[in-house]
Amino acid sequence: MAGLELLSDQGYRLDGRKASELRKVQARMGVFAQADGSAYLEQGNTKALAVVYGPHEIRGSRSRALHDRAVINCQYSMATFSTAERKRRPHGDRKSTEMSLHLKQTFEAAVMTQLFPRSQIDIYVKILQSDGGNYSVCVNAATLAVIDAGIPMRDYVCACTVGFVDETPLADLCYAEESGRVSSLALALLPRGGQIALLQMDARLHQDHLETLIEAAMTACKGVSKVLDEVVRQHLQEASVLTGE
Amino acid sequence: MKDTPLSNCERDFLLKAIEEKKRLDGRQTYDYRKIKITFGTDYGCCFVDLGKTRVMAQVSCELVAPKENRPNEGVMFFNIELSPMASPAFEQGRQSELSVKLNRQLERCFRNSKCIDTESLCVVSGEKVWQIRVDVHMLNHDGNLMDAASVAAITALCHFRRPDVGIQGDEVTVYSPEERDPIPLSVYHMPISVSFSFFQQGTYLLVDPCEREERVMDGLLMIAMNKHREICSIQSSGGIMLLKEQVMRCSKIASVKVSEITALISKALENDKKARKEGGKFGFAESMPQERITALKKDETSVEMSDVSEKADEIIQKAEVPHQTVPSPVVPVAGVGQIGEDLQHTWGLDDEDDDEEEEHKEDSDEEQDEKNMDVEHEKEIRGCVVEISDSEEEEVIILQAEKPGKTPIKTGSDSHQKGAAAASRKRPNK
Amino acid sequence: MEVCRSSAVSLREFGCEQSLLSRPDGSASFVQGDTSVLAGVYGPAEVKVSKEIYDRATVEVLIQPKVGLPSVRERSQEQCVRETCEASLLLSLHPRSSLTLVLQVLHDDGSLLSCSLNSACMALMDAGLPMSCLFCGVTCAIDYDGKIITDPSAAQEKGSRALMTFAIDSTERRVLMSSTKGSFSVHELQQCIAVSQKASEKIFQFYRDSISRRYSKNL
Repeated sequence: MAGLELLSDQGYRLDGRKASELRKVQARMGVFAQADGSAYLEQGNTKALAVVYGPHEIRGSRSRALHDRAVINCQYSMATFSTAERKRRPHGDRKSTEMSLHLKQTFEAAVMTQLFPRSQIDIYVKILQSDGGNYSVCVNAATLAVIDAGIPMRDYVCACTVGFVDETPLADLCYAEESGRVSSLALALLPRGGQIALLQMDARLHQDHLETLIEAAMTACKGVSKVLDEVVRQHLQEASVLTGE
Repeated sequence: MKDTPLSNCERDFLLKAIEEKKRLDGRQTYDYRKIKITFGTDYGCCFVDLGKTRVMAQVSCELVAPKENRPNEGVMFFNIELSPMASPAFEQGRQSELSVKLNRQLERCFRNSKCIDTESLCVVSGEKVWQIRVDVHMLNHDGNLMDAASVAAITALCHFRRPDVGIQGDEVTVYSPEERDPIPLSVYHMPISVSFSFFQQGTYLLVDPCEREERVMDGLLMIAMNKHREICSIQSSGGIMLLKEQVMRCSKIASVKVSEITALISKALENDKKARKEGGKFGFAESMPQERITALKKDETSVEMSDVSEKADEIIQKAEVPHQTVPSPVVPVAGVGQIGEDLQHTWGLDDEDDDEEEEHKEDSDEEQDEKNMDVEHEKEIRGCVVEISDSEEEEVIILQAEKPGKTPIKTGSDSHQKGAAAASRKRPNK
Repeated sequence: MEVCRSSAVSLREFGCEQSLLSRPDGSASFVQGDTSVLAGVYGPAEVKVSKEIYDRATVEVLIQPKVGLPSVRERSQEQCVRETCEASLLLSLHPRSSLTLVLQVLHDDGSLLSCSLNSACMALMDAGLPMSCLFCGVTCAIDYDGKIITDPSAAQEKGSRALMTFAIDSTERRVLMSSTKGSFSVHELQQCIAVSQKASEKIFQFYRDSISRRYSKNL
């Protein structure tokens, strides 16, 4: 893919955005009636569906139960039709297992698990269409789903993937930008305290640029958190109107 | 096997010591344990000791077809094996969380950062490329497996030499190491990972945790860098919350450590190259320390075998003479085999024993006739040749008690289900 | 076929180091020429209920090759080593426990199975497990001229007509396990066994020397 200019001279990216502009976020909560919490989130062309069950009794082996906290069980999978070529193994391969572990780690930091000892919270995320920033979209969708389920969290968990091209950080990468061997950093943030729940970076980046990149990621995450906040308030309003309060 | 659990008093002791900036082995907060690198006999094999953590890496190569979307590039494959030797908690064959985590981290550290020139591994574009396979085996787990694995992997890759390839038109010849000197891989840079462990919700930080410290830690931050101060990979794991300042501080510490470790690796590679050039002995055998009381070496010794032949003759004479021929061999017809409980096995032709066993399993009427049959068999050495076939034209006929000499039993293919008695005698073909 | 009586058969230089790993209960690395194997023993330890035997310890052997995943060949070698260990260990002293022996091939230059057996024995000694006898492994190869070669290197193994490995016990020099490949006559087999018994003397002497060296400071 040589020759594709990821950042033009006027500062426009492949899809016409500016360097620090996020993609359009559209979300809906409560899409499934039978799940405790569910949410559907679109960020640009990446679409993810998150479903939360819990807190409920530990299924399977009792030995996994923690005496003072809830166990969070995450599963990440991609639909076979989500990528340009049909995905042959939607879950069980190493990348999906790694993603599931990362999601688990992120939510263990944010969800107040001490309130539910000896129980289990399940979070299932499925990518319906993949166009870059899979991890971030999953985290955002899962946050909304957890809020929809009414499970107490310390703060919104917002995630964003940023890349570094021509000395400029690009926020919210799409697939073309990600695959162009750009150094990409995925960050999951709790915006109020500025605490980083997960930090993941691939590809070479000089140490001096690290600070700028993390700064850009944090700003982008704060932007995402505003949008998520909007979505939650709107959903609450709709729900209260329906119940006639 | 289960690992011994950590007791509460050990946990409290460790945490309290860390608060007072004391570590179990007396190191400072930012100190690494002693790293020792040794090489094996063949190219691409190296052992790394990080304190007591011991890791072995082996690089091998083979020619394969390239990936469809990248026809000009070679393939790199990384595999970390958590050997059950390293810790009683590791089980063979199970893909545990730790195994997935380490594998993915190593892949991201090396593959995404393009440390090896994969385009030089192409032999015939679109058809044949070199696949470089790196196997890392954990031999002893005393904490910080990731760092030891990354040092071992990059050192092994730098040490490895692949066979030379010649292309004449359509033909590709791979030369053996004796014909042409093998070529080293082109390594652009050496990514080394540095691990930081956090305790008490991120208040305290330690570099290179040992196994005990790993058990009480809250989370781990892994930063992979090369000596040009380029970050190749960052990964935070465990449920910790980091602040931006902490990450920046860690990256600064990492750059210092990485340059020290890279210098160490280069020196080890130099020493090994010198040793090989001088023609001295090298390899794992040589690196065994001689002055230790737990090690011993003995030179080549000869074994006396003067009376071996006589002894052998003696034993053979005392032994029984084996039968030259088998009285009633059970021979399967071409294309037939048989296996099952209480059946005549046709894998190994232990015919004699099977024949006798066979006879005992027949109906009780036959018992008297058996003795007759035995006698008969000995008389006629070229007795009935029993053939087994699965032809379905034959029907099953029960043993005739009155005719001891000839036992006309045929079997169809459903004798298998009948089990014991019915097995396998068939009238010789008319 | 007659064997040249005057040929001097030799063992390559060998060396051993014990207690080199901190986690396993016993560990040893045995080097024969360029072939080296690292062994680690855990035991007696907890055993899974499905594998427990009520009056004996359960012995598990795992052989890890250097490159790739373990295949059928490693399984058959594991079987050989396991049977030898079960014959010489006093298993009834530890009922309902497990003894796990893990062998890692560090370099293969011929005589791999016998090197594995030797390192296994040294590791079991290092772990302090009670044994009724020690065992050692000796490999013999018969080349196309009928000459017997002990402790063959990989090149010698390739050019041989038959390859045999015997596990010999220390008390009466009898054969505990034999694993053969290739074609050979009964006479040759008996000769190889006799040669292996002779060679095993050297190995047992080496065991004795290394143990007495190790405990020389204590005694």
